[in-house]
Amino acid sequence: MNENLFASFAAPSMMGLPIVVLIVMFPSILFPTPSRLINNRLISIQQWLIQLTSKQMLAIHNQKGRTWALMLMSLILFIGSTNLLGLLPHSFTPTTQLSMNLGMAIPLWAGTVVTGFRYKTKASLAHFLPQGTPLPLIPILVVIETISLFIQPMALAVRLTANITAGHLLIHLIGGATLALINISATTAFITFIILILLTILEFAVALIQAYVFTLLVSLYLHDNT
Amino acid sequence: MLRRMVLSAAAAAAPCLRNAALLGPGALQATRIFHTGQPSLAPVPPLPEYGGKVRLGLIPEEFFQFLYPKTGVTGPYVLGTGLILYSLSKEIYVITAETFSAISTIGLLIYVVKKYGASIGEFADKLSEQKIAQLEEVKQASIQQIQDAIDTEKSQQALVQKRHYLFDVQRNNIAMALELTYRERLHRVYREVKNRLDYHISVQNMMRRKEQEHMINWVEKHVVQSISAQQEKETIAKCIADLKLLAKKAQSQPVL
Repeated sequence: MNENLFASFAAPSMMGLPIVVLIVMFPSILFPTPSRLINNRLISIQQWLIQLTSKQMLAIHNQKGRTWALMLMSLILFIGSTNLLGLLPHSFTPTTQLSMNLGMAIPLWAGTVVTGFRYKTKASLAHFLPQGTPLPLIPILVVIETISLFIQPMALAVRLTANITAGHLLIHLIGGATLALINISATTAFITFIILILLTILEFAVALIQAYVFTLLVSLYLHDNT
Repeated sequence: MLRRMVLSAAAAAAPCLRNAALLGPGALQATRIFHTGQPSLAPVPPLPEYGGKVRLGLIPEEFFQFLYPKTGVTGPYVLGTGLILYSLSKEIYVITAETFSAISTIGLLIYVVKKYGASIGEFADKLSEQKIAQLEEVKQASIQQIQDAIDTEKSQQALVQKRHYLFDVQRNNIAMALELTYRERLHRVYREVKNRLDYHISVQNMMRRKEQEHMINWVEKHVVQSISAQQEKETIAKCIADLKLLAKKAQSQPVL
C-alpha cells in the first residue's frame, strides 16, 4: 500500500534525480514520423487521425488563425497521449500537476489575447461589453467581463488538473475498496470490481475528452481574437 | 589535415620541395578519394510485411525456441508461472489498490485489442490501398493520354500517305475545267467567223437578186414597148388561123 493516497501524484524521482522531464518527453516517441509514401499501419492510422482532427478543428478559423495549426495539433496529441498513458498501472501523469497545466494554459491564452489586442485592438476591447446592455449596467459589466477574461487560463488549467486527478483518485479508491472487500464478502468485491471496470472505461473517455476540450477552448479564444 | 602538415614540414625542411608545397593543396585534394564505398541509403530496403511472431502478445517466439532443447514445450510457461508466484509470495510485487486498477485497465485493453484489432488493421491497410490506387490512377491516366496522342499521331501520318488521292482528283477537276473553257471559246470563235461569212454571202445573194429583178423588168419593159399596134393585130390574126387549123385536126381525129 502506498504511504498515503496521494503518493502516486508526487513528482517522480529515481535515486534523487528528477526524471519527470523524461516522463513528459516520453509520449513523443509513440508517434513515429512518416518516412515513406506508404507506411506501416501505426503511421497510417496516426496520419488519418491527425488529418481528421485538424480538418475539423481548423475549419472555423481564418487564414491568420490557421497559423496556429501545428500548435493546436501538438497540444491535443500531447494531452491525449499523456492522459491515456497515465491510465496504465504505476504510471505518473504529468497533467495531474497544476504547475504543468498552468504552464500550458497561461502562455497559450496570453498568446491569443495579445494577438487580438495587437491586430484588432478595437474589436478585442469591444469583447468586454456584450451587445445590447442597458446603459446603467455598463461599468459593472465591463468589470465582470475583465474578470471572466482573466479567469480563462486558470479555468483551463484547473479543469484539466481536477478532471484527471479526480479520475485517478477514484480508480485508486475503488481499487482499494475492492481489495479490502475481498476478505469480507467476495460478491461485494466483485460488484465493486465491475464498478472499477466501468470507471476505467469512463476514464479512457475522459482522457480523450479533456484533451479535446482544452484544445477546443484555446482554439475558441483564438477565433475570437483573429 | 595531417597530409597538409606533412607537406608544409617537408617544404620547410627542404627548400627544393617548396614548389611541391605550393602545389600541395591541389595535389592533396586530387589524391583524396570520394565515393568509393557503397552508398549507404539507397536503395532503401523494403519494410518487413509482418512483425515478428510473439506468444501471449509479449514474448517473442525465439525465446520459446531458445528454451526448447533444454526444457521442452512447457519450459517457458513453467518459468513464467514460477517467477510470478515467487514475486507474489515474497511480496516483491505487492498487491495494492493499484493491482485491481491494473487488472481492469489491462483487461479492458486486451479485450478491445482482441475484438477490434483485426478490423483496425484492415482499415489501416485500406487507407494505404486507397493512396496507392489514387497514384496508380494518375499514372494510368497519364499513360492513356500519351497512348492516345501516339495513336492520333499515327493516324495523322497514315492520312498524309493518302493525300495524293485528293491531289489527283483536284488535278482532274482543273484539267476538265480548262478543257471545257477551251472548247467553249473555240465554238464561240467558230460562230463569230461564220456570222461574218454568212453576212457577206447574204449581201452577195441580195445583190444578185436585185440585179436579176432589175434586168427582168428592163427586158419586159422594152419588149412591151417594142410591140407596136400593127404587129399586135397580125399576131392575133395568125393565132386565130392556127387555132382554126388545130380545131379542124382535132375534129378529124376520133376521140380515143
